[in-house]
Amino acid sequence: MNDGGKWYQGFLHGFMIVLSLLTLFPFVLLLSGSLSDDNEIIRSGYAVIPKMLSFSAYEYLWSDAADIVRAYSITIFVTVVGTVAGLSIIALLSYPLSRREMPFRGPLAFYVFFTMLFNGGLVPTYLVYTNMFDVKNSMLALLVPGLLMNAFYVILMRTFFATSIPPAIIESAYMDGAKEFRIFRSIIIPLSTPVLATVGLFQTIAYWNDWFNGLIYITDPKLFSLQNLLNRILLDVQFLQTSQDSIAMGTHIPLLSMRLAMAVIGIIPILIAYPFFQKYFVKGITIGAVKG
Amino acid sequence: MMNASMHTSGQAAAKGRAEEAPQPAVRSRFRAKMKVVKRYRALLLMTLPGVIYLLINNYFPMLGMAIAFKDINFAKGIMASDWIGFKNFEYLFKTRDAFIITRNTLLYNVVFIILGTVLAIGLAIVLNEIKNRYVSRTYQSIILLPHLISMVIVGYLVFAFLDNSNGFMNKTLLPWLGFPEISWYSEAKYWPYILTIVHVWKSIGYSCIIYLAAIIGIDQEYYEAAKIDGASRLRQIFSITVPLITPVITILTLLSIGRIFYSDFGLFYQVPLNTGILMPVTQTIDTYVYRALINLGDIGMSSAAGMYQSLVGFTLVILSNTVVKKFNKDNALF
Amino acid sequence: MKRVWKWTKPVMAISVSASVMLAGCSSGSNKENSPAQGASSASAANETGLKPYALTFVFPTTADAKDMGLVEEAVNKITKEKINATVKFIPISFGAWAQQTTLMLSGNEKVDVIFSGIGTYNQQASKGQLLPMEDLIERYGQEAKAALDDQSPQILEAARIDGHIYGMPDIKDLAENYGFTIRKDLVDKYGIDLSAVKTIDDLDPVFQKIKDNEPTMFPTYKYSQSIIDTISNGYMDNLGDGFGVLPNFDNNLKVVDWYETPEYAKLLDTVRRWYLAGFIPKDIATSTENGTQVMKAGKTASYLSHMKPGFAEQDSRNTGHTLESIELLPAAATTGKITRFMLSIANNSDNPERAMMFINLLYADKELSNLLAWGIEGKHYVKQADGTINYPDGVDATNTGYGLFTGYLFGNQFLQYVWSGNDPQLWTTMSDFNKAARKSKALGFSFNAEPVKTELAAVTNVTNQFKVSLETGTIDPKKHLPEFINQLKAAGIDKIIAEKQKQLDAWAAQ
Repeated sequence: MNDGGKWYQGFLHGFMIVLSLLTLFPFVLLLSGSLSDDNEIIRSGYAVIPKMLSFSAYEYLWSDAADIVRAYSITIFVTVVGTVAGLSIIALLSYPLSRREMPFRGPLAFYVFFTMLFNGGLVPTYLVYTNMFDVKNSMLALLVPGLLMNAFYVILMRTFFATSIPPAIIESAYMDGAKEFRIFRSIIIPLSTPVLATVGLFQTIAYWNDWFNGLIYITDPKLFSLQNLLNRILLDVQFLQTSQDSIAMGTHIPLLSMRLAMAVIGIIPILIAYPFFQKYFVKGITIGAVKG
Repeated sequence: MMNASMHTSGQAAAKGRAEEAPQPAVRSRFRAKMKVVKRYRALLLMTLPGVIYLLINNYFPMLGMAIAFKDINFAKGIMASDWIGFKNFEYLFKTRDAFIITRNTLLYNVVFIILGTVLAIGLAIVLNEIKNRYVSRTYQSIILLPHLISMVIVGYLVFAFLDNSNGFMNKTLLPWLGFPEISWYSEAKYWPYILTIVHVWKSIGYSCIIYLAAIIGIDQEYYEAAKIDGASRLRQIFSITVPLITPVITILTLLSIGRIFYSDFGLFYQVPLNTGILMPVTQTIDTYVYRALINLGDIGMSSAAGMYQSLVGFTLVILSNTVVKKFNKDNALF
Repeated sequence: MKRVWKWTKPVMAISVSASVMLAGCSSGSNKENSPAQGASSASAANETGLKPYALTFVFPTTADAKDMGLVEEAVNKITKEKINATVKFIPISFGAWAQQTTLMLSGNEKVDVIFSGIGTYNQQASKGQLLPMEDLIERYGQEAKAALDDQSPQILEAARIDGHIYGMPDIKDLAENYGFTIRKDLVDKYGIDLSAVKTIDDLDPVFQKIKDNEPTMFPTYKYSQSIIDTISNGYMDNLGDGFGVLPNFDNNLKVVDWYETPEYAKLLDTVRRWYLAGFIPKDIATSTENGTQVMKAGKTASYLSHMKPGFAEQDSRNTGHTLESIELLPAAATTGKITRFMLSIANNSDNPERAMMFINLLYADKELSNLLAWGIEGKHYVKQADGTINYPDGVDATNTGYGLFTGYLFGNQFLQYVWSGNDPQLWTTMSDFNKAARKSKALGFSFNAEPVKTELAAVTNVTNQFKVSLETGTIDPKKHLPEFINQLKAAGIDKIIAEKQKQLDAWAAQ
């Protein structure tokens, strides 16, 4: 097997283990912080093992379970629908752009790329979505603005299509009398699982982590996504800390350990979903076979 | 087996070169073009959803860039508000900070681009080289984790390390190594390194995925052939893997150049916990604009900043893209 | 590239037509004070003679009040009867407030009554997002006006900008005094004589005692962003943004740079002294938690801050320790303080008259005010023997369905019940406090920052760099204060002060 030998593999593993530990260490602090007594953190800082174990953060979240479960389901729904819809649109746009014979290829590529550089800004975007299209406080507001597709993904996919799909395949498909869409569906897609999985993963992460759309388009608490919920709390905390009126607020600032706990529960689903995508990080059908 | 379409477009191109020729040539060039359009209309149709989305999501709001030149009064409405020329841009240039923020933004981005690319490719190669797929995927998941938490939380975690009295560095690591305590949040000189480390920690899992997918797409036959020729694994990597993913590297680098005047707000604002003393090394254009406008709330000024960043990035990308085109037309963005 | 530009034309064409649409859709028209019909339904007007209308009320909140829907219903019963209007609550969290409301007011979303203030009043008014209210107050807001004028006729005037009033100040603490708050148990334990503390420099022996005897606790901590940022306001009227101030609330109306004054330098020296003596933690500038939280954790003994009647009780409740406060600087009322919490009418309201009527109700109707502030009697609170209110049995801070504790947002706090633990006569005390407070000579003046917004952006950044570090004692003022002042000058603070003086003189001449 072309694997370089035992020592080589051992070295690689060793390297990755060290790297993984270094990457994970801050997360240990995050987890342990979420399980610590709040006052203890303020007094003696974060520790690898909590000085004073306390489940109060998770208990509090559990008591709020209805809200959290609803936020979870909103996030999941938006993520799945958004990723599938987004992937489709992106692929539909990227594939033609990768074909050399496609008319207006250059201008279209520019049209797509230009959007990466120039941005109207928050207020005009908001006006378009609320004045022209009334998406405020609707699911669409979580699905469409800024996230459904992205020029970056288009360019990424176009590059993959252009470098990994030999024109020979398409030509032989033409010879067999296939139409464009059929070619796309039956040949291109199956051959492109790595890039589809990549962009799909990116889309999923983007939708999962999004709190911004929720922040500006949603005021109905029933439509808060998970990250929106967490970030509102974090923003509130920052506001109350710096505002001189916290004296007048008389309100409770959410506990530090609770903020950490929310961060923890925000990560877990992605960890579960990630292996699902990784399955597709294989080569699909060997192109070599087609060549022969 | 000749591709009929390529033949037609070849003709069209040839005819296109005869632009100065009299009318009939122009008309038939147009007709030839229309023929191509008709032939590939299915492909064009496929692009429609994406094109429409970008129109709504990006191009319609782009008209709002006019706000950068206006003094917005909502009672009059955006369209009827007064034009004030370049007044909204002044605060970006007139200040003595203008140099610092530009320098910081540029330098950090250059370092991030170079370091990030090299490390991400290296990591992707390492992950690909590992024989055991399951273990490799586990490593992948782990290094992706940092990308999933918000920068505010990262700020807390960095504080857990660097806090004067209770932080891991001062309390455990430095004493163990025999070094004296350091007041991290008061010394600006460490922060370029700290911020670079945090940036790499957070983003490398994400960017290495792209390179990994590209590497996986490389035909195994190349490696087999090289092995037969007696090339070592390392040699194979440098002669096959890296060159074959050059298109991806080029594209990603070009895209990064386009964003060279932008910075990760969370990284430069949240992670240093908005500490004033560190601002000479942590202030970028984005944080400067945010801090300046948080009390003014002037959307004209923030729009002006965005336009400034976009224009610079745009110019640089066009330049770089032209350079890339000279080497290899396919690797260019457009 | 030539081919490229050719094809951007159709794109432009579509975009241009879109802009025409946008122009039509965006809030271009200024709704004059004409009798709007609003969302009138077929049902006849009720006995008030008014057609039905659905108001929206936008206000900030931090807590997630589960029973807000119930409260909304109860509120609607009253408003339907009195002004034939229903009210829809739109609560927005404080952290998202500035962002979301700017956007809401930019478009033509249906917003009628909106909370204004917390530093954004001036901007929103000058950007045309709020409706001028003087006429509406004359016609429909007489009761509200009377309540405000009872405190002082200058209160409503404080909200005047360029001749128009864009918001009605909430009636609450309309002035603030400044002082020192410390844990009572420590005072008793170490026999600290608080009556000997007359100025902040008298605090050194107090801090020393605590430092010597309580090793795990820091004698003092920041309340908000630095040790002295809140009490600084006791020395001068910050005229809105702190760039150019009126020392002693008077100074014959001459604006000076606060950061160059001897008082400021002295304050910095004091704080630096405390930092070096170990009275303040070394990482104070970067801490992510504020005074009340740190006090709650038992890590600090005291803090300096601005106060109001009932402050010690309020913070005792928030920190879980019984606290004692002493005043160091007397009460003063400034435009900034008064315009921090107000109620306004949005520019794109369809029925400003009805909006004004609702606002008026908030200042006059005791039942309405208590509903909004405390919730439903019996469910969220019960009356106690001494006249205060408290949670009903089985309800507490963690499971109440309506625990906002932000009564000051809803118009007239003096109409509301007093929470348990506070002086039952709190509002009387507060009213006296407001009336007795010294009024700044510049009360009623609002600075229009537009002509110097470039300089303002620059000095804001300079301040961000130095202020917190200097005011927490983290860096040496001997070295850095001159640096700070120089950089402020380089950033254009003198131009701001000159402009402010000019506007102040013009205002005073009226």
